[in-house]
Amino acid sequence: MVAWAKEGHEAAFRELIRRYERPVFALVYRMVRDRALAEDLAQETFIKVLNALASYNPDYKFSSWIFKIANNAAIDHLRKKDLDTLSLDGAPDADTPDALKATQLQIGTGGESPLDEVASRELGGAIERAIARLRPEYRACILLRFVEGYSYEEIADVMEIPLGTVKTYIHRARNELRQHLADRRPETPPAKAP
Amino acid sequence: MTDLTLQHLTTEELELWAQGLLGAARTMHLTECTLCLAEAEQERRMHLALAQLPLFAPRAGFADRVMAQVKVPKTSGGFQVS
Repeated sequence: MVAWAKEGHEAAFRELIRRYERPVFALVYRMVRDRALAEDLAQETFIKVLNALASYNPDYKFSSWIFKIANNAAIDHLRKKDLDTLSLDGAPDADTPDALKATQLQIGTGGESPLDEVASRELGGAIERAIARLRPEYRACILLRFVEGYSYEEIADVMEIPLGTVKTYIHRARNELRQHLADRRPETPPAKAP
Repeated sequence: MTDLTLQHLTTEELELWAQGLLGAARTMHLTECTLCLAEAEQERRMHLALAQLPLFAPRAGFADRVMAQVKVPKTSGGFQVS
């Protein structure tokens, strides 16, 4: 499909958009938690990728390339805006208990970014809230691993980080997610009135 | 010789178990280890929750909005604005 697009077939461009618009948008939306912004960033991603198609290396997975651009756009935005960086763990590179504690962020103290009505409804589930509480790098790893089904090696490629770092991020992120879900006991239905 | 059923499951094995891909020999460990069983149950809940995440899509007309800003190369070597 990419080769066909490189030959100048508009239909091939549209097919590439059709194939990837949902996963790219979903990744960006869960990263930035704002529908309009996610759409802008996803749009920028496609424009950037499709206009640079001539330089695409077919040895590299097209999906990895487009996710890399999308993830970078989302991470760059979050860094600029300093949004949603709450994490139960300390800094990813903290390697002692003291360093972890020093860099640990307290849930609730920073305040969550305001969500618009749609995002609040769509992203309001327990797992979505748990994902939102992860720091952006953890969030991207978890989404690529468990939603997109990427291997650890592919995630390392997309995020341009060492394989060991991917493993660390996913290990910490899954612990946070599991903890958050474990803390939420299933709601007991009210007893029936006699 | 090490008895596989006595070793705690690794993180990778817990993930495989949650996906139904862990071998029988290692799965047997869960019948004897309440610690790993609790971990495995947490892992399963997380996988289930992630598997049920809804699919999101951008607004209708996304492709048109993108294509309006993409230069489609001409087969002769130039570009055509779609």
